[in-house]
Amino acid sequence: MTDEEKPGTNRKGAQQPDAVDGPESFGLRGGEYTAEDLQHLSDLEHVRERPSMYIGDTTARGLHHLVFEVVDNSIDEAMAAFATKISVTINNDGSITVEDDGRGIPVERHDQLSEELDREVSTLEGVMTVLKFGGKFEKGAYQTSGGLHGVGVTVVNFLSQWCEVEVYRDGHAYQQEYERGVPQGEVRKIGSTKKRGTKTTFKPDSQIFPNTTFVYDTLLKRLQELAFLNRGVRIVFFDERNHSGDEFCYDRGIIEFVEHLNRASEQLHEDVIYMSGETESVGYEIALQYSGEYTENLHSYVNNIHTHEGGTHVSGFRAALTRSLNNYGRKQNLFKDITPSGDDFREGLTVVISMRVPHPQFEGQTKTKLGNSEVEGIVTSAMGDFLNNYLEENPKSAKTIVRKGILAAEAREAARKAKALLRDRKGVLSGGGLPGKLRDCTSKEVDKCELYLVEGDSAGGSAEGGRLREYQAILPLRGKIINAYKSREDKVLANEEVRSMISAVGIGIGEDQDLSKRRYDKIVIMTDADVDGSHIRTLLLTFFYRQMYDLVSQGKVYVAQPPLFRVRQKKHTYYVQTEEEMKTQLLELGLKNANFDPRDGRQIQGKEMEQLCRALAALEEPLTALERRGISLRAHGMRQDPGTGKLPVYHVFLGQQDHWFTDRAELNEFVQQQEKETGGELEVGEKLDSGNGSPDAAKRLHIVELNEVRTINALLADLREMSFELDALLPQERTGTEEARYVLRRGETEIGLEDLRGLLPAVRSAGEKGLQITRFKGLGEMNAEELRETTLDPVNRTLLQVTMRDAGAADDIFRVLMGDHVEPRREFIEKHALDVDNLDV
Amino acid sequence: MPWITCPICSQPFETELSTAAPFCSDRCRQIDLGRWMKEEYGLPIERAEEPSHETQVEE
Repeated sequence: MTDEEKPGTNRKGAQQPDAVDGPESFGLRGGEYTAEDLQHLSDLEHVRERPSMYIGDTTARGLHHLVFEVVDNSIDEAMAAFATKISVTINNDGSITVEDDGRGIPVERHDQLSEELDREVSTLEGVMTVLKFGGKFEKGAYQTSGGLHGVGVTVVNFLSQWCEVEVYRDGHAYQQEYERGVPQGEVRKIGSTKKRGTKTTFKPDSQIFPNTTFVYDTLLKRLQELAFLNRGVRIVFFDERNHSGDEFCYDRGIIEFVEHLNRASEQLHEDVIYMSGETESVGYEIALQYSGEYTENLHSYVNNIHTHEGGTHVSGFRAALTRSLNNYGRKQNLFKDITPSGDDFREGLTVVISMRVPHPQFEGQTKTKLGNSEVEGIVTSAMGDFLNNYLEENPKSAKTIVRKGILAAEAREAARKAKALLRDRKGVLSGGGLPGKLRDCTSKEVDKCELYLVEGDSAGGSAEGGRLREYQAILPLRGKIINAYKSREDKVLANEEVRSMISAVGIGIGEDQDLSKRRYDKIVIMTDADVDGSHIRTLLLTFFYRQMYDLVSQGKVYVAQPPLFRVRQKKHTYYVQTEEEMKTQLLELGLKNANFDPRDGRQIQGKEMEQLCRALAALEEPLTALERRGISLRAHGMRQDPGTGKLPVYHVFLGQQDHWFTDRAELNEFVQQQEKETGGELEVGEKLDSGNGSPDAAKRLHIVELNEVRTINALLADLREMSFELDALLPQERTGTEEARYVLRRGETEIGLEDLRGLLPAVRSAGEKGLQITRFKGLGEMNAEELRETTLDPVNRTLLQVTMRDAGAADDIFRVLMGDHVEPRREFIEKHALDVDNLDV
Repeated sequence: MPWITCPICSQPFETELSTAAPFCSDRCRQIDLGRWMKEEYGLPIERAEEPSHETQVEE
């Protein structure tokens, strides 16, 4: 406020140290008040009578404001690069001391003021006792000074029971004291010093403030804030009352402020986005970072004043943010059907805006809203340019941010839809209004009632016919086929089906679910036993796990186990549940009295035969997996290690070449050798790189691990123990005349085999003799009676209770299959197409 | 209770502390419900294949 010394005012304003005039000396010369003196007295009176006009109020807020008024002067001094350190101390007696190492308020005579008052008055006394002295006499001292609209330290002095200022300047220390705003004598020189700066100590007047106790945390928070806002300034805070304190100094300023605000949140992108600049004397500094939170955390400041109510700088920033992010999202094709609004982009945003505005106009209820209209355009344009650049140059962060906005938009829409759904349910579906497709049970005893969710309409028909009408309800569900991506079709649960399920189950959806309102004690999922059926099951389980968590955790969800085969043996009929079980049964039946002649003099039968067949059975799955990769056993057999008899497990691509290795050690040796030759580490690629002749392609390594070959190797070793080499598994070239290579005999029947792999199917088909086996392609192929007998009737059926672990596992599979991103999803499907059986939940 | 990641926002959280398990928040649960309603959740159609061998029983 006051610090520009004027070259022409060098006359000593401070009187001799001993010139103390007593308390009544203020402005009195020759027993008369001058007009100016009267003005000053009335200013003092005015401030003390109406303190709220100057400091807002006299509550804790106003009380603490006094400290910040004084600190602000020191901050100004620091920002003008004259001070580096500010210390604030709460003294034992409840007074406050603020000290800086700046230039020190001038203590010399102030000509203009002295003339007006017609007495010798120092600049210091002017600062402490003349309202708006800075504004009146020192125009342009600090254009963007933060003090409360220029009332400054004068008001602090006026509202203090006592106040003392020490100034260290030109090698001397000076001091002046005041009581309730009235100087207790003139400025005195108190000795020599090496220090520089100003030290102000004051005790708020209890006649003004009902409570004069300073709160440590309140001061701490604001002092830290000031340290963030004024980079490089060291603020030392100490509370003598409890000997606690802290020290702040931030060389990266508001960047560190944002990091501090986000310290407990998950950050969506690593870097804090930062920009600063100045346009038409308006300085701006903005730092921002997105976190995983749902709320906006915005702190805006003008000349260090916290603009709680925002204003033109904030609206300018928001306009730029929304526009830039939307432009980017559109350009990158990130928006599907929703375009986020400005509010959506505010979710999770942590931002600090710090402005330097020469002549700030403050509006609003608490005068903390910036009104300068020119600021809006300045911020919008600067922020827009900066952000557009940033987004182009940092696509990873850019996409993360835009996706966050899309999620927010989606949440908004989902909330609206959910409300509509509930309304709908109340209107149309309540009062016995159950879904039309539901075939409800007759009993109202919830504990005995069951709801079967049945995939497919024809299955629904069978189930309806076969159910125990009293306790079993049937809700047929149909998957809806949509074109999900270019080359693929997806099956989804239609909106109507989801609604039907929700209203049939009866516990509601969303926040206010009530398990006690359930209409059934068991919800049974019944789907076909094929891959498609298992996908529908995964969908349903995921739905219940996510949206009716309690239903699952209370063990109310089950999976039905319909059989896959019907077996008729003469007049006896029975059912077999899984493919595996069927195969095992057939094998056991076929092994009876079977005898295998490998044409080497041996007759394999009994235990030995069983052992052979089990090894071959174990080979089926891994061999199928290998062949699905497009690798035939014959082709792979060529790569057999003649020493160990092992087949290679690792398929390694490097540049245009590919290589095979049977174990890690071999592979590592190869990699080391290559690295030696090419110099430098090889890059391990996630995907097979077409290379396109790029110079790095020769160094790009892609390793495919054929895990199934490990199993094959182990089983080949088993076979070798039974004197069968890999060759036995491959059909041999036939000349057409000779006898079959191997023979399976069973009673009178002889079956010729060309290779060992044919043995198992031959044994099984022998086991089928006398049986009439029907494989149900779906639930619909079972008639009502069969379905009742096998799957519905509690006497015979098997129900699997879905545990939280099962449901969680379904969710996991679902997440990968139905990821947000097309790429990982396609990769997963390609990878797992090999072991599709694992998708069974 | 263990930490799991929210199906919607992928943030890890402690299931015990969430009132909207298995989501981190009610908001994420709502987004999920919205996606079910909009028929955005589907799984690829894959017809079950009969496992077949290249080497079949001959004759």
